[in-house]
Amino acid sequence: MKHKRTLFLVVSLIIIGVFLAACAPQATPAPQKVEVTRVVKQTVKETVVVKQPVKETVVVEKKVEVQKFAPGTKLHIVQWSHFVPNYDKWVDPFAKAWGDANGVDVTVDHVSITDLAPTLTAAIDAGDGPTMIEMPVTPSSFVEGLQNLNDVNEQAQKLFGEQAPTCKANSYLPALKEYYGFCHGWVPDPADYDIKLWKDAGYPNGPSTYADLLDGGKKIKDATGVPLGLGMSPEIDSEMAARAIIWSFGGSIQDANENVTINSPEVIEAVKYMAKLYQNAMTEEVFGWTAASNNQGLIAGELSYILNSISAYRSLQKVDPAAADNIGIGPALKGPRGDQHASAHVWFIYVIPKYVNANDTAAAKAFMLHLVANYNQAVYNSELYNFPAFKSTVPQLYEEGSWLDIDPFGSRPQDKLKVLRTAEDWVTYLGYPGPANPAIAEIYSTHIISAMMGKVARGEMSAEDAVSEAEVQIKAIFKKWRAKGLVGGTK
Amino acid sequence: MPDRMAFEVPEKAGTRTLADREGLLGTLFLLPAFVYIITLVGIPLVLAITYSFSNVTAGNTAFDFNGLENFRLILATPQFRRALWDTLYFTIVSQIIIIILATALAELLALDFRGKRLARVLLILPWATPISLGTIGWLWLLDSKFSPIDWVLRAIHLLGPGTIFGPGLHMNYLGKTNLAMASVIIVYVWRFLPLSAVILMAGLTSINREILDQAAVDGSGFWRTLLEIKVPLLLPIVNVALLFGFISMFSDMTVIFLLTRGGPVYYTQVLASWAYFKGVEGGALGEGAATALFLFPVLLAGVIMVLRSTRRMEVT
Repeated sequence: MKHKRTLFLVVSLIIIGVFLAACAPQATPAPQKVEVTRVVKQTVKETVVVKQPVKETVVVEKKVEVQKFAPGTKLHIVQWSHFVPNYDKWVDPFAKAWGDANGVDVTVDHVSITDLAPTLTAAIDAGDGPTMIEMPVTPSSFVEGLQNLNDVNEQAQKLFGEQAPTCKANSYLPALKEYYGFCHGWVPDPADYDIKLWKDAGYPNGPSTYADLLDGGKKIKDATGVPLGLGMSPEIDSEMAARAIIWSFGGSIQDANENVTINSPEVIEAVKYMAKLYQNAMTEEVFGWTAASNNQGLIAGELSYILNSISAYRSLQKVDPAAADNIGIGPALKGPRGDQHASAHVWFIYVIPKYVNANDTAAAKAFMLHLVANYNQAVYNSELYNFPAFKSTVPQLYEEGSWLDIDPFGSRPQDKLKVLRTAEDWVTYLGYPGPANPAIAEIYSTHIISAMMGKVARGEMSAEDAVSEAEVQIKAIFKKWRAKGLVGGTK
Repeated sequence: MPDRMAFEVPEKAGTRTLADREGLLGTLFLLPAFVYIITLVGIPLVLAITYSFSNVTAGNTAFDFNGLENFRLILATPQFRRALWDTLYFTIVSQIIIIILATALAELLALDFRGKRLARVLLILPWATPISLGTIGWLWLLDSKFSPIDWVLRAIHLLGPGTIFGPGLHMNYLGKTNLAMASVIIVYVWRFLPLSAVILMAGLTSINREILDQAAVDGSGFWRTLLEIKVPLLLPIVNVALLFGFISMFSDMTVIFLLTRGGPVYYTQVLASWAYFKGVEGGALGEGAATALFLFPVLLAGVIMVLRSTRRMEVT
């Protein structure tokens, strides 16, 4: 009995302790002085030290009117751990400094890029969580749980000019006439190729068409055993590569009016091409790749050509500068009828869930504008990985003699990246030529397109059958989201 | 003795405290476990069942009953049918291998030998390691370019031009259907073998020594003792090991998500991972819930059957 009493006492004390701890009042925040109205003059200027001489930075002065923030206003940002670590080192203090200057308690959390969708799902389901989340691809299937961001998008366009179409398409839903996200940047998805191998194969500037890719890729594999690497695996690069080929062959999943158009001669031709490319210039590894595999293959010198952002090249610059010199950066390839398209690699799309209160929402929108106003810093600190949604904010990127002509991060030759100046001409977006609606988002997430390519490449189905099978699934997905009023079109 | 006498003195009515009320105490002590199960198991399960009969999305979880539409939609897709098949295939094949190996391991570890404790610690490591870390380790071992297994195979001239696995320099384990499926099974066996082995080891040690000694006296050899005495006596324990294994594997998506993401094509997709891709990443939460719950009734019936048969087989 004595022991039982002691045990009871201990357990009771623990429960009472836990209860009291849970009920303890939180520390009261110190009162903050809030100005009634405040006009912040945001001067965009170059603050980083460049390694090579660049054209003198153009100073752009933007005035962003910031409303009064109530005491206790918070901005909790969740975004992905950037593929260029330097970006995170810059953005965290950048956001906190803005918060300190404006009386907002700012927290920036970084998670793996694959954890963003579950984070947003859980937050919406729970009705509680971060103020805003940065999504890497269209979050249109979450639109019902997100705030309408028409105002901040319109304000940004008024302040900074036209938004890149690839950004608008991934944050605007025509069916609702609504911006559900704020896209502040995007990432080109150019070709990264082995200059020596392609020169030996007769393509000193790398391939410029898909016919070149097949011809040169086969020659290289036959002569050296080194394959090229366009993935057909359930991962992001494979999805983007499959779409780039389909678009450049003149096909698409949907048309501009959101009608399903996957079952077309152009798509079938593209699928047959991919199968031929695999049989002649690739190996089975492309069916089992992760998102990092093609980067690793290029860095190891075991792939002659990949489609990826410049992060693969930047990684190689750091581990083996001489090998990086041998990597060429090429534009999207042209298809048989001259179409030249490639998806962006990823986008930076801020969303604000509906549960966020008005004060925090106002702070989040003000921060979005602040970030865009200073986007030249974002581009620089991402080592030119990020491209701006609003070109006017980063004149250093596009003008003659600027960063793409003289790479501040040591490219040899220094204009290696200049091909990216034309990237906005050939970059597309999920859903092209239609919007990135929820049906397109679900098709992307369930890997229907890369699997369609894979089945034909592996000889399991004819191109016609694989496209028909994909069409049945895609139409069912469109029908489901159309019934919710979130997708346009009729077919 | 004075203490005992003092203990036995009946307490006066009215001086009983909460500590003396065993029924109430039992309830109180069970309460945390009850709250835990209701909160973390019960509510999500009810929520998932509700979602599977509604057209909720990742962005809108307001309940809107749509009958069996989600089940109709998922059944129409080849990915779901493949995931269903793979779930059953991976689970059954892995469990057969696990039970055979676990029985052997349990026999081995029941013997007296030098380093037995270390062997037991090593055995439990895969189970003690977080499954995500273990799977990432396997992902590296099976990498298409940098696999150490490939390196060893090349070093002993089993891989490369003119060799048995040649002419390529890489096995591409996760790019070939059969190898990818075998890889998944190997990782599952690696992961779940320790649990079954420990359960069976406990079962072996609980077998009455007199029975085994009697068998030895009667001239029963190793195999006869194993197959005609130990295995039948172990059956209730085997059922428990199988039950844990089945449930753990049916509900696991970590291995597939990290190792293959369902590829190549969809050949290693399982229900748990397909539910995630469809429901969370694709936003079709209702279909994801229907996918995840599809085998729930079958599983529940199976669990009840196994538990009932285990009770019948228990040696008293």
